[in-house]
Amino acid sequence: MAKAALLLIVLALPLLAQAQTPEAQLRCESTGQDFVYDCTLMLTRFGRPLEGAQVTVGADMPSMPMAHSVRPARARPGLKPGEYKARLDLEMLGEWAIKLRLDGPVRDLLVLHYEFDSKGAMPRKR
Amino acid sequence: MDDYAIGVLTNIALFSFIALSAYLLLIAGEMSFGQQAFFGVGAYAGGILTTLYAWPLPLAALAAMALGAVAQFLVALPTLRLRGLHFAMATLAAAEMARILFELMHWRREIDGELAGPDGTQGFRGIRWIFEHGIEPLHYLGIVGVLLALVLALFLMIERSKLGATLRGVGLDPELAASVGIDVQRIKLGVAAAAGALAALGGVLYAHHNTYIEPRNFDIMLGVHSLAYALIGGLGTAFGPLLGVLLDIGTLESTRVFHGYRMIVFGGLVALVLVYRPRGLLDERTVQWLRQRFS
Amino acid sequence: MIADLVQNTLDGLSAGATYALLALGFTLIFGVLRRANLSFGPAIMFGCYAATWTHVNFGAGLLLLALITVSGAVLAGAYVERLCFAPHRGGSAIAAMVASFALWMQFEELATLIMPRHLYAFPLLYEGDPLALGPFTLRIDALAMLGAALAACLALWWTLYRTRFGLAVRALIEQPAAAALAGINVPWVFVRVFALASAIGGVAGYLVVASHGQITPMLGMWATLKGLLAMMLGGLGSLPGAVIGGLALGLIEAHTQWYLGPQMRDLIAYLLLFVLLAARVPWMTTRSAS
Repeated sequence: MAKAALLLIVLALPLLAQAQTPEAQLRCESTGQDFVYDCTLMLTRFGRPLEGAQVTVGADMPSMPMAHSVRPARARPGLKPGEYKARLDLEMLGEWAIKLRLDGPVRDLLVLHYEFDSKGAMPRKR
Repeated sequence: MDDYAIGVLTNIALFSFIALSAYLLLIAGEMSFGQQAFFGVGAYAGGILTTLYAWPLPLAALAAMALGAVAQFLVALPTLRLRGLHFAMATLAAAEMARILFELMHWRREIDGELAGPDGTQGFRGIRWIFEHGIEPLHYLGIVGVLLALVLALFLMIERSKLGATLRGVGLDPELAASVGIDVQRIKLGVAAAAGALAALGGVLYAHHNTYIEPRNFDIMLGVHSLAYALIGGLGTAFGPLLGVLLDIGTLESTRVFHGYRMIVFGGLVALVLVYRPRGLLDERTVQWLRQRFS
Repeated sequence: MIADLVQNTLDGLSAGATYALLALGFTLIFGVLRRANLSFGPAIMFGCYAATWTHVNFGAGLLLLALITVSGAVLAGAYVERLCFAPHRGGSAIAAMVASFALWMQFEELATLIMPRHLYAFPLLYEGDPLALGPFTLRIDALAMLGAALAACLALWWTLYRTRFGLAVRALIEQPAAAALAGINVPWVFVRVFALASAIGGVAGYLVVASHGQITPMLGMWATLKGLLAMMLGGLGSLPGAVIGGLALGLIEAHTQWYLGPQMRDLIAYLLLFVLLAARVPWMTTRSAS
């Protein structure tokens, strides 16, 4: 009986691990240089800040998805827990699908849509 | 190899699938503006099967390919006798219809307490099969690479066979082909199904690489780009479309000088090359010459 | 009910007028060269962006902007003709069309480089209330579009039927081989046809941008898709067909959008095209691409 319960728990663990995907919020400010932005990312999971993740920030455009040369930037941890900072060098203004590749305690790929203008980025409802 | 290089190489491979599907149709004499639709069919079908119904990726990929083949077959059937711009416009119309259908498609199921699945124009997020099975980006590149190599090997085998000669014959002069007893219709339908399967394979692999797809990913830009890659790379060999993809993404990546100018450079390059080589860099004559040189 | 029908018809006709102009431009090029110019929309967009740039940096009157738009479109069209169509005249149609697509890419990127914002304001043709005719409203700029389209068609008709150049163009459309043998300077005719088509396109583009009061980089793709769609609906290669196709497209769009929404509007238009092509309706296959 105990063995069965243990088995069930072990089998359920992967499910538990994937059950909650991290959530991310992005804030970007233009650095003044054309299409270069300083971005601050807030990662949470289970409602709590997600620390210690290795975050790589990339970007793509919804139309012609694979064809823009935005070099993914490694994010460094920010001051607050769950905060990460990265500098994004985009090709143009407009709507970008920001891709956050997470490694470390959580492995995942999040895609967020933001509208970039000359000042910063606004989330796009998608 | 760093993550960035892995990403670029994966993109090159994924693009090659749809470029090859456009190439196959070009060989058989048809210009398609619509391969992006079947890329999308593969992406959505594969994503739905793995994310909503927990199918393993290999099985989902096979199903996606079958669906892509059927879809392109169904488009080809009523348009068999169309040539040139008529056929191209028919494929464009079909592809735009598919994209609008993707915009209208809502197929949501509750998975692990959250709603998942395609949500119309909001897209389809959370295609996580790769992450849930611990596949590293490098491994995935390996998988995609092996599949591409298999496809290329298949192409090379066919090119050297009677089927390959028949295909090219149909492409160059269908009336002549028909007069020597070739069933042009059957060939065209077969080519259509194969091209659809190929594009769909690229699509399902793309969906799992990106974890997120939306209808805009599959618009006319993708389709005409794949056509351009196939043509500029050259219609003489299956390596032609690959070369086309490499040229574009290569100028994109290798020279940061072109930052922001890539399309201007690549577009100009394509137009110029086509002036001197209307059938691409690796056109039939060049391939013939290369074979003689190295045989 | 009837009021909606009439209102939608009015709206559809004015949109259709623009589509008719776009289709005319495509058809001129297709009828004479037997190739579709995928850079037609983008060349128009180039002209519109040139006008926008002038307006943003210097401010300019409506007439000047119209002239800049048309000139820009003609210039861009000449570039496309030289690079994509002249070299392939006797050769591969696919190469020409793919090359024209490649230049489309260039125009799009150029537009975003020079004018990086996604949206720019453009001076409105008419700022004021629409005309009220009983229960119907007629926008003044819609009237202007219809009027301009009519004027352009008349000018085109006059060119084709009252000038030597027009005679040559018609000859090339109807009997290309005989025309060449009769000593017509075919390449020179092509160049001028391109200029004419681009000019008409420029007019259409200007009207669209000035009536919406804004311009986005999507204009190129939009103009190409609508122009191609209208051209094919009306029968490939036929000039009257282009006008009918454009008007029909406008009407179909206006009515389906009213009852079924914008996505169904586009879906129906493409479905109609596909069905007409598949059925190989005779008027659609009058002239095939080489």
